[in-house]
Parts: sequence; C-alpha cells; structure tokens
Amino acid sequence: MTRPLAIIIEDDPHLNEIMTLTLEADFEINSCADGTSGWHRLSEVTPHIIVLDLNLPGMPGREILKKVRGDERFQTTKVILTTADERQAETLTDVADIVLLKPVSPTQLRELALRLKPI
Amino acid sequence: MAYHFTPNLLPLFVAAALAGMLALYTWRNRKTVGATAFSIMMFILFEWGLSYILELAGTNFETKLFWNIVKFIGVVATPVAWLIFALEYTGRRAWINTQRLILLSILPLITIGIILTNDLHSLFWSSQRLAAGGGFLLLQTENGPWFWVHAGYTYILIMTGLVLIVWALLHWPAQYRGQMIWILLATLTPLIANAITIFRLLPILIDLTPYAFTVTGVGMAFALFRHRLLDIAPLARDIVIDGMKDGMIVLNANRRIVDINLAAQTILGLSKEDQPIGKSMAEVIRTQPKFIARYRNVEEANDEITLGEGEAQRWYELNLTSLRDEHKLIIGQVVTIRDITQRKRAEILLQENEARFRQIVENANDLIYRVDMEGKISYANPSVLRVLGYEEKDVLGRHYLALAAPELRHKIKRTYEHQLVSKTPTTYQEFPAIATDGREIWFGQNVQLIYEGDQVVGFQALARDITAIKQAQDSLRLARDQALEASRTKSQLISKVSHELRTPLGGILGFAELLRDHTFGELNAGQRKATLSVIESANYLTNMVNELLDEAQLSANTATLQEGPFSPTILLQQASSGMEVLAGKKGLKFTTGIDENLPQELIGDERRLRQIMINLVGNAIKFTQEGSVSIRLSHATNEYWSIQVTDTGAGIPREAQEYIFEPFRQVNSAITRDNRGIGLGLSITKQLVDLMGGKINLESKPNKGSTFTILLPINRDAGGKL
Repeated sequence: MTRPLAIIIEDDPHLNEIMTLTLEADFEINSCADGTSGWHRLSEVTPHIIVLDLNLPGMPGREILKKVRGDERFQTTKVILTTADERQAETLTDVADIVLLKPVSPTQLRELALRLKPI
Repeated sequence: MAYHFTPNLLPLFVAAALAGMLALYTWRNRKTVGATAFSIMMFILFEWGLSYILELAGTNFETKLFWNIVKFIGVVATPVAWLIFALEYTGRRAWINTQRLILLSILPLITIGIILTNDLHSLFWSSQRLAAGGGFLLLQTENGPWFWVHAGYTYILIMTGLVLIVWALLHWPAQYRGQMIWILLATLTPLIANAITIFRLLPILIDLTPYAFTVTGVGMAFALFRHRLLDIAPLARDIVIDGMKDGMIVLNANRRIVDINLAAQTILGLSKEDQPIGKSMAEVIRTQPKFIARYRNVEEANDEITLGEGEAQRWYELNLTSLRDEHKLIIGQVVTIRDITQRKRAEILLQENEARFRQIVENANDLIYRVDMEGKISYANPSVLRVLGYEEKDVLGRHYLALAAPELRHKIKRTYEHQLVSKTPTTYQEFPAIATDGREIWFGQNVQLIYEGDQVVGFQALARDITAIKQAQDSLRLARDQALEASRTKSQLISKVSHELRTPLGGILGFAELLRDHTFGELNAGQRKATLSVIESANYLTNMVNELLDEAQLSANTATLQEGPFSPTILLQQASSGMEVLAGKKGLKFTTGIDENLPQELIGDERRLRQIMINLVGNAIKFTQEGSVSIRLSHATNEYWSIQVTDTGAGIPREAQEYIFEPFRQVNSAITRDNRGIGLGLSITKQLVDLMGGKINLESKPNKGSTFTILLPINRDAGGKL
C-alpha cells in the first residue's frame, strides 16, 4: 500500500526540513519552498494532506488555501495551516482543518497528521 | 300786655335780626368746626336782643318786668355759650364734656331761679321802678347782692374766652388774624357797653349792651363773609396742614416764619412745644449754617438736602417758592420739605449694586463687550483691552468684526445675523481675534441679544481667551495622533518581532524534538540532557513570545474576541488535560468540577477562555508546593457564570493583591527558578476578563491558599453591568 501524499509548502528551509523529517515515516512527501511552486505542484497531484505556511513568497498561503477550498478535486484533502501570526491564525480556523501557531512541535504535527490520515 | 314801638328801637332790631340770621346760617353749616357753639351763641344773643326790644317797647310796668326776666335767660346763658365757642374755636373741643357743661351751667341756673323768686327775697334786684330816659320808658333797677355774683361770673367766663382767643391770635398764622380781630371786636363791644351800663360809667339810663350787639352782629357777619370764618376754621387748617406728611413753612418778606406745620417742625428737630412762628428762619435753623448761607438770597430753589449724620441721616427734597403780589414784589416764601430718604436709599442701593456689578465686569478675566445694532462696540471691559492690546479709544465705536481674523469675518457675521433674525437667546462661537501685535487670540464667545422691551438693541458678548486651550487641544491632538501612531508602531513591532522569533523558534524546537526522538540516531546521556534543555528553553521562549504579544495587543486595544457558542464541559476538559500532568509531576491533587445548573452551551471566545483557565491553573500549580489545585465552573447568578480556581499554596500577601494584576508585577518572594515568568499572565487574564465584560476577584490568606473567581456574563449583551 502506497503511503498517502503530503505536500509541504514552507519557505523556511529549516522548518521545511523538520516537517519533512517529521512526516516522511507516514507520508509520501512533496515539499515546496514557495507559494507559486506549491500551487504548481498541487495542479499536478491531489494530496491527502497539505501542510501550508501562510506567509509565503510567490503565491500567498491564503490564496492557495482559497483555491484549494474552491476546487472540488481537493474535496477530501486536509489542510494543516502553520503561521507565526496569531491573528491571522484566528481568522482562518474555519477554513483550514487545523491551524498551528509557530513554533510547531514535530511531535504535535505528527500526531495531528496521523489523526487526519485515512485509515 | 301793651307795646309801643318807636323808631329808636331800629338799631336793636337790626342787631337782633343779624344775630338771628347768623344763628340760622351757621346752624345750617353746623358740621363746620366751631359752628354749633357759634350758632347757639348767636341764638342766645338773638333772644337777648329780641326780649330787650319787647321790654323797651312795653308800655306798662308788668310787661317790662316780664320781658326783663325773659331777657335774663339770654343774659346768663351768653357767657357760657361764649366760653364754649372760644374753646371750640381755639381747638380745645376735647375739654368740653357733659360734666363740665353742667358745672358751668350751675351758677346761671341758680341765677335764673333767684330772678324768678326775686319778689320773695330781692337778692337780685333790690328795687325795680319805671323811669324815662333817652326817649324810652325804662325799667330802672337797683342791683341786689346776687346780681354781683352773676356779674362776676359773667366777666370771668367772658375774660377766659377772651384770653383764649387773644392767645390764639398771637400764635396763629397771620391769615387768621383778620377774622379773629373781627370776632374780638364783636365780643368786646357788648362787654364794654355792658360794663358802662352796670357800673354807670356814663350818665345814661338805657342799657347799651343790646346796642352793642349791633356791632357784634356786624362784626361777626363781616368775619363770616369777608374772612370766611367758618369755611376754613383754624382747626381745619390744623388738620389739613399739620396732617401733611411733607413739611411746610411759610415765610414773610422778612424771612420770618408765618406758618409752619408739624411735619416741618419734626424735620427741623423742633419739639411740639417750640413756637417758631414769628421767629426768623435763620434763627430757627441756626444749627445748620450751611443752609443759612445757601438760602440767604434765594428766590426759588429745588434741592436735595440731608439732615443728620450716619444711620440717622435723612434725605429731603426742598422746594422754595417765592410768593409775589401784583407788583411782582416778594411778599413771602413757601418752603416745602419732602422726606425722600426711602427713595434715596433705594437709589444708593441701586448705585452700589451697579458699582458692584461694574466692578465684577471690570475685574473679570473674561472678555466682556457690547455691540450696538450697527455692529459698533459700545463697551469693552479692561480684559478685552488687555488681551488684545488695545486702548479703550481704539475699540469704542469700532466695528466688532475689525477685531476678528479677516478670513473668518464673513462666517462670524453670518452667525450673528442669524442670531438676530432667529432671536436665538444665546450663541457660542470660537474664532481667532487679532491682537494689535498680530497674534491670534482665540475667543470662545457667548453672545446674547440685548433687549429694551421687546426690541433688540444690541449684542452682549462674553468671551474667554481660549488660545491656550486651543493650543493645548492642538498639541493634545498631535500627541494623541503620535501616541496612536506609536501604539500602532509598537503593536506592529511586537507583532513583527514575535513573528520573526517564532520562525527560528520553530527551527530550534523542531530539530531539538527530532533529536530527542532519535530521528538522527541514538543520543548519549549528555546529548539527551542537552536536547531536553534546548526544548525546555525553547518552550519557555515560546510562552514568553505569546504573552508579550497578548499584552501588546491588549494594551494597544487591538485585541478582539472571537466569540461563538461553546460547551463549557469540553472547554474544561481541554484546558485541564495538560494541567493534570503538570500537577501530577509536582505531587499535587488536581480536581475539576462543573455545576449541573450551568448551561450546556455558552457564548464566548473559547480560545481566550482556555487561555485564562490554563493561566490561572498553571499559576496555581506553579506556586503550590503541596496540597491541591482545583477548578470549578459554576452558574453563579442569573446573569453570570464563574470560573473558580483554588489552591492550597502560600497565598498572596495583602499588599501584593493590589498590584498582582498589573503587567510585569510578581510576588518576588514567591519566585523560584522553576516557576519564573515575565509576569504577564495575570495582567493578560485581567484584561481579557475586562474585555469579556466580566470581573475577576481574588481571595487569599497567607499559607492557606488563594481563590481566583472570574464572573462572566451568561448573556453577552448584558455584559458590562458589573
């Protein structure tokens, strides 16, 4: 059985690496370093989980979230939103499945991702 | 009885007729003072005269004897009537009463009795016989002893009356002298005639007395018609003139007092007993030399004078008018003195009030000025001049708009034109006036319309120099803008800083956790300890960043609540799950409780409520060494639900309870390495509770523990009532 696909869109290379390391045991990982390439990748595949940073170069995270939510193809796709901005986080709790305020604990991220992983 | 009337009786007829007519005339006018007595006296004289005529005209002895007796009724009654008249005429009416009248009448009545019984004792007449003389057949009588008693009594009464009238003559004003001289003449003549007859002073047999009555009648008639004897009797004059409130003095050409009324005497400080009539005016007012000098050669005057000093000082209006004869020569002067003290005092009071208000206006720091209907300044108080640097002459008569900043004149003018048209009682306007040195002086100006009757006659302005306030407002506005800007900047800065801190913190925490979880291989004991320390520090730092951000948002009033329905049961579970572990680590008992009556669903910011609970419970655990920590949600009142966190820790000292909710404040003695923090937790909690419309309350006893109770409105709309 192939592992479910998780796309990580995070511009900070350290955080991107941490998330990849955290989730690669349970997910097939595609990681992107900016919004534009992230969205490009999303046009090609339909992941099970998207770990999306809000503050991104290129296409902003908020826009990607909006597009994902407006696209039937991503009907079952879960979005874990990460942000360093508390107030932004508050406004998006309804749109994203999970909103995590940075710093994100790898332990917590893995737990949550596993919870969203299809059985 | 037989009579023979001869022409030589004519004078007696005339005299009797005159007496009779006067009696009748005065009787009709008896309401006039003194008229009744006069009328009675005249009637008695009439009776005397008539019976004497009949006595003389009688042709036999018996007739003459009869009329002689009848005549004597008049003879004995006359002096009594005379005295009564004299008393009434000289204002002594009060002296006359029934008792005295009876006393006066005793002797005359006895005399009548003796006359009627003279035949038995001859006490009055020792002999009576007929004799011829002067063309008459006369009754010749020799007087007995009682006659002389009667005569003496008669003379006493007549003399008393005379003295009274002469006395009055000397003291009454000159205008009554004429009539009194006539009265005296009329009275004295029969008296003299009577004396001549009784004492046989002339060698004639006829009784002259009744003839003298002719003179009496004429004299009285003359007094009556010429001098209007009974029209204005002296007593009436007393009532009218002395009754006047105003003082009145009549002076003759030599400035001697001819008449003065009671009021004038009182004003001049003379007692009732003083008799200033006849004295010179200068003598009477010798204590007031200034008036002597003032009125020495004055013919007309209308002055206000004062008499007395201090409290007793009174004001009078003195009017002096000269009386002139047909040749325009001064024959006297009339002085009236009216007491105007009351009016004067009112005037003085008014002046004092006016002065007082003037002083207030003149000394007011406020700017007060008046403008007439042409817009010209008619009054400006010293403050106006001081503030704008003008001289009074520069301002009076000048158009008020000339003082205002040119660019605003049009607007200012419109305001007051509108006020005038709409009759708005008061307007307020702020505008800059221009001082002489060119400075802008801000006026905060109230303007009222001035009315005379229902006619607007001008404007009254009360302005205040609000330049300083204006400047303060400007700088305040600037300061507020700057503060707002600074606050925004601070908020942005903190937001930015925390954002920038969170990302590397994510790196630290992330890699440390991956290390701990052996993602990069097994760790030795030292490496593991170091990794855990990194994680602990990173968590502490994360917490600090969170708190700083909260505090920054709350103090900049940029924090908002995300309110929605939530389940208090779930909230309590979420908040306490991690806490249970923490408490367990310290060996503390941790309990949660929820009130059955608490609604299943409440409205609120779930995340913030959780933050509050974690904060309070976290604190309780941090500062409690042994015992227990509990949290309970209750339905406190109809309007509030509560979060109550209780511990068995060291308690918070009373003085610390005052500041424990302020940011960065902690109870220093309670801080250890393990429970350190930056002291924002309770401050944030308090601010969040305030934001939610709730109230936080602390009860704490040293070494017993503390209880924090938070009351929050069940219905958010009812919030803020606390």
